[in-house]
Amino acid sequence: MNIKAVAKKAGVSVATVSRVLNHPETVAPDTKAHILEVMESLDYTPNWFARGLKLNKTGVIALMVPEILDQGYMEIAKGVEDVVRQKKHSIILCTTEEDRTKELENIESFFLRKIDGLIIVSSVLNKKDLAQFKKNKMPIVFIGKNKEQKGENVVFTNYKEATTTAINHLIEIGHENIGMIYGSKPKTENAEKLEGYRSALAAAKLKVVEKNIIEEENTIDGGYLAVSKMLNQGDRPDAIFATSDNMAIGAMEKIKQLGLRIPEDIGIIGFDNLKISGYLEPKLTTVAKPMYRMGLIATRLLFDIMEESQSENEPQEILIQSKIKVRKSCGHEDRLSEIF
Amino acid sequence: MKLSTEFMGLRLSNPIIVAAGPWSRNGEMIKKAFEAGAGAVVTETIVNEVNADIRPRIAYDGRGVQNIRLYSDILIEEWEKEIKIGKSGGGLVIASICAQTPSEIKHIAAKMEKIGADAIELGLASPMGEGIEVLAASTEKVYELTKAVVDSVSIPVMVKLSQNVSNIAKVARAVEKAGARGISAIDTVRCIIGVDIGKRKPYLSTYGGYSGEPIRPLGLASVATISQSVKLPVCGIGGIETYENVLEYMMLGASVVQLGTSIMINGFDHIGKVKNELLEWMEQNGIENLDEIRGVALGEIKAFDEISVEPKTARIKADHCFSALECNKCSLCCVYGAISVVSGRVQINRERCRGCGLCCDVCPEGMIELVW
Repeated sequence: MNIKAVAKKAGVSVATVSRVLNHPETVAPDTKAHILEVMESLDYTPNWFARGLKLNKTGVIALMVPEILDQGYMEIAKGVEDVVRQKKHSIILCTTEEDRTKELENIESFFLRKIDGLIIVSSVLNKKDLAQFKKNKMPIVFIGKNKEQKGENVVFTNYKEATTTAINHLIEIGHENIGMIYGSKPKTENAEKLEGYRSALAAAKLKVVEKNIIEEENTIDGGYLAVSKMLNQGDRPDAIFATSDNMAIGAMEKIKQLGLRIPEDIGIIGFDNLKISGYLEPKLTTVAKPMYRMGLIATRLLFDIMEESQSENEPQEILIQSKIKVRKSCGHEDRLSEIF
Repeated sequence: MKLSTEFMGLRLSNPIIVAAGPWSRNGEMIKKAFEAGAGAVVTETIVNEVNADIRPRIAYDGRGVQNIRLYSDILIEEWEKEIKIGKSGGGLVIASICAQTPSEIKHIAAKMEKIGADAIELGLASPMGEGIEVLAASTEKVYELTKAVVDSVSIPVMVKLSQNVSNIAKVARAVEKAGARGISAIDTVRCIIGVDIGKRKPYLSTYGGYSGEPIRPLGLASVATISQSVKLPVCGIGGIETYENVLEYMMLGASVVQLGTSIMINGFDHIGKVKNELLEWMEQNGIENLDEIRGVALGEIKAFDEISVEPKTARIKADHCFSALECNKCSLCCVYGAISVVSGRVQINRERCRGCGLCCDVCPEGMIELVW
């Protein structure tokens, strides 16, 4: 079945059918309805490859995330997909592992495939790389911000400020000796969290116990290992901030195995607000990171750029607020803060 | 005689606007509101991330409504179509939007302008979903968010304020300073509508927003305060059920009003009823244009030291109250012991009466007045 057969049956020219497919707004409503009816009766679907060639658009966008098994990144993907579906496009999904070479190779292949736009999560590209891409004029939106992306379209959240709120929550409850288990990835965001941790403690005039800041892999096992090390070395903290819920989950496991109680002996606060965190025992207090929403907004921004001429759009940096989700793992007695 | 009016530079066929809420949840509903005669419609609040609906989420106590619905459940992409459908009803659509940061809210606002909204209302006053303090409680936040939107769109922007703040005048000034073209007030007030004592739990499962007739006095006070603190036109909201309520808001400075709960309970035809009665009242009172009555009652709000102390006391209007045998409400409510019912006759001791005025309102027959 091809476009000629549709044109013939509908009694119009091939050009008119083509306009219905590509620029429907230019076809009279009655004619359009008639042609669509014929297409349906003939079970005709356009050849997307040919269509892409003609319009110089493929109807495909790509999403690159550091790690495909991470639930947070999948929440971003869900946000991207929800908008992409509305826009009747498709997505290519791939990983970067925060490796510049890999990121560059992927982008190279996207250029070859002539995709319409790209969203990169936690990019490690530098200014020079980005300048190179400008020539290709492919719209790019970044999720997560570092100094290399200044002047680009970026959707990000305030890790430092959110971490400060988390640490202040622990301080308000009465914790003074607060340790931190620190995921080695993603680098930029965790560096911001470390900054937030230090500044909150400094503002409260509490000392930072350097040996109680332990870096490990950003996984459940990493959290387990980090806390094992921390609790082995004496000067046990009375609360721990974990840079991800996964690490907090591993930490909770270790703390329980040692026969210590959460939050009575050690309070723990995570970051991400994974779905599972609300079902742990005790329920994990954490920072809700708006991953899904960042996915939605980044995609909206991407389509803004794709649908309009580039010059009309000043690059935008959109901040999406993270906020603390108070539950049971830090030992507060304020039910109200759990509700609001 | 005409109802048409101008608000924020927009020409409205009449001053009755449908408020943001479940009744303006999509294009079809907005269209119905126009068909019923609304001057403009505010969409349900549009946000980036839609929430799943909790069931049940609306409770009614016969006077007011608690709702715990968080914003519109329609994606921004779908609103493009919905606004078109709504506008086919032939009126002005005001997009209500909410977000927590300036960059996020201005991105949504620009989208709303692009998809055809005639104006923007910033819904910064919801008592749910944004923490124990409503967004509109912080003058800095209100200023930042408003400024960001005003700077990024060319359609008029109004900001919806909340009674859940300690100084609404201060917030109103921040809105004016940020360059908004109007203020609407009030949003719902945080509430728990009641407790089912049999089941030992509240009727709805979390704190919500209260709307309807019981919040009207709060709305009136807020609108008066805003009108007395800024020059921006004000859109009065809160418990408007009748044309008299519309006039009350207008006499305290409102240019236009929004109806929500009364439409939810009575249906869209309620708009036509209020509109017709408003016209009738104008005719009876020789009012050509509602501008004539706008703010006329504001001058009568006084500082305590400006209120002259008149030696008023209560008096029965007729020489006898015929209900006194069954009803002694007046004597029960008098804290000065000035009213008694003796052998079926109401007696007022004018020496004891201190002229508080309560008995005049309590009397079901309206038989008591204050005189001197």
